[in-house]
Amino acid sequence: MTVSKPILLAEDNPRDAELALAAMEEHHLADKVILCHDGAEVLDYLYCRGHFKTRLQGNPAVVLLDLKMPKVDGLEVLRTIKGDAALKPIPVVMLTSSREERDLVESYALGANAYVVKPVEFHQFLKAVKELGVFWGMINEPPPEGASRATGRST
Amino acid sequence: MGMDEPNSHQAVDPDGESSHPASRWGERILARVSCLAPLVHTFQNRSIEHRVLAGFGLVFAGILVISAISYRNMTVLIRNGHQDQRSHEFIQFLAATGEVMDDAESGHRRFLVTGDDGYLASYNTLRARAPEYLGYLRDLTDAISTQRARVNQLEELIAQQLQKERASIELRNETGFESVRAMALAGVAKTELDSARHLQVQMEQDETRALAQRVVESTTTTRSSIILLTIGALLLFVLLAAVYYLIRHDITERRRVADELQRRGELLEAANKELEAFSYSVSHDLRAPLRHIDGYASLLAKAATVSLDDKAKRYLQTISESATRMGQLIDDLLVFSRMGRQEMLRGTVNLNQLIASVLHDLRHDLQDRAISWTIAQLPEVTGDAAMLRQVFANLVGNAIKFTGSRPQATIEIGSRQSGQEEAVLFVRDNGVGFDMRYANKLFGVFQRLHRADEFDGTGIGLANVRRIIHRHGGKTWAEGALGEGATFYVSLPITRPSA
Repeated sequence: MTVSKPILLAEDNPRDAELALAAMEEHHLADKVILCHDGAEVLDYLYCRGHFKTRLQGNPAVVLLDLKMPKVDGLEVLRTIKGDAALKPIPVVMLTSSREERDLVESYALGANAYVVKPVEFHQFLKAVKELGVFWGMINEPPPEGASRATGRST
Repeated sequence: MGMDEPNSHQAVDPDGESSHPASRWGERILARVSCLAPLVHTFQNRSIEHRVLAGFGLVFAGILVISAISYRNMTVLIRNGHQDQRSHEFIQFLAATGEVMDDAESGHRRFLVTGDDGYLASYNTLRARAPEYLGYLRDLTDAISTQRARVNQLEELIAQQLQKERASIELRNETGFESVRAMALAGVAKTELDSARHLQVQMEQDETRALAQRVVESTTTTRSSIILLTIGALLLFVLLAAVYYLIRHDITERRRVADELQRRGELLEAANKELEAFSYSVSHDLRAPLRHIDGYASLLAKAATVSLDDKAKRYLQTISESATRMGQLIDDLLVFSRMGRQEMLRGTVNLNQLIASVLHDLRHDLQDRAISWTIAQLPEVTGDAAMLRQVFANLVGNAIKFTGSRPQATIEIGSRQSGQEEAVLFVRDNGVGFDMRYANKLFGVFQRLHRADEFDGTGIGLANVRRIIHRHGGKTWAEGALGEGATFYVSLPITRPSA
């Protein structure tokens, strides 16, 4: 198995980001992770604009999305991704502290592919992030790049 | 409303007066009509339902009386109108009869003079039509009345006239003109005709007089009707105003209470929303630093594993455990808080099925345990299945936990009915029990009767049980003794087979 596509991690809290990267590192996935600090950055990346204007074309293998983020929050990003035909095939995993029912309901209603509550216990957190990285970054077959081209998005 | 109502009324009224000039006006009117005072007081002592009922009863009675009198007056007017018409017809027929009689006599006389049969047409008409005319006249008079007697008299006169004329006609036909000359000149039925004319005049005069009387009566009736309706409407208006005045206080009071209730409801809703936002924030923001504490402690333990001695490692371990435990406490508190706000989905709950599924979930705790179970046939209850499941998961889980030290544990789940409305369910164990002196602390939030190293748990379970059972309208209590086991009771409303 080779990892060709990056994993997009949206996390505003630097400590959480560091812990998540530490977890990814255990499986040598850290260098595949692209870190965004808020929802606006995620959208910039996906639409190749702003800071990410010159990046290589192509969608990430998965977007790990925090719910509470500055500027544009997770649900808003999710709504944008699932509302855009070109971005819709990208798997989106909600990775959040919230266990609130309404967040779960709303996320799935908007088309989230998975919902993971960050465990307080570090070993479990480590396990969860690692498994997410391995599954979505290595095991899962991402949608072919043509899938988004076919829908007619001009780049 | 009690008998002390007038006093409280007086105490309230000054405020009401300053804001309502109309009420002062009403008070003054009521004071002036002093004879009504006892009545008004009796009225004010009644409940608002009685007042409204009495007030509208009076208005209704007033409407009934006015309607009855109006109906009677209308009947009189209609009857008079009908009789007027009859009178006019009567007078017309009377005149027509007179004319026919006169025509018959004059035609008859011409016949006597000329002997020409053609002149007998009027005579024949009278003969033919008289019964018909008299019939009409009779129909238009009352059976026993002067006018009817006079009609009969007129009939007799006509009969006499016809008889006399017939006799003279026969005489003329037999003997010729000379023998009837005198008759032809004077007229045979002169007396009858004179009497008939006199009679007709009397009848017409009487009928006209009756007509005039009825016109006067109708006018009076119409006028009295108008006066009655006007006065009635005014009285009803005054009555309605009085009823309104007397219930006005209650109406404004009720409206004020309704407004107040709505205001409090809105406040409560706002407070609830705030609480929800608060617990959402707790759920999301409080967990993050705990995760960091545990995370960095673990990373540190890993990074410095060579240089740390056992003591330092134990410190790091304790930091991690404390953070994890606090995370657990936060989760429990959130569940407890949600339990109070969550909407209940009421239905019929089969407790035996529910317990079976609870035991299935607890099967991992039951491995390597020797427990003798006694589960009775339990009643069906009304409630939220998910919440009740949590109740029994807690109670049964506790029984399993606190019998852990017993080589042979006994757990009994049973019920007893208490009255028609509710069932009492209990979970009894032969575990470590508790001191009855602390029984009231059992159901408190984060209250524990055992040290943390004896039995694990945060102390939220029984608090949840109590909150759920209270929301179902039931009660919770417990009996036990140190070292001799414990029994936990909950009462719940029963589902009746008919319902």
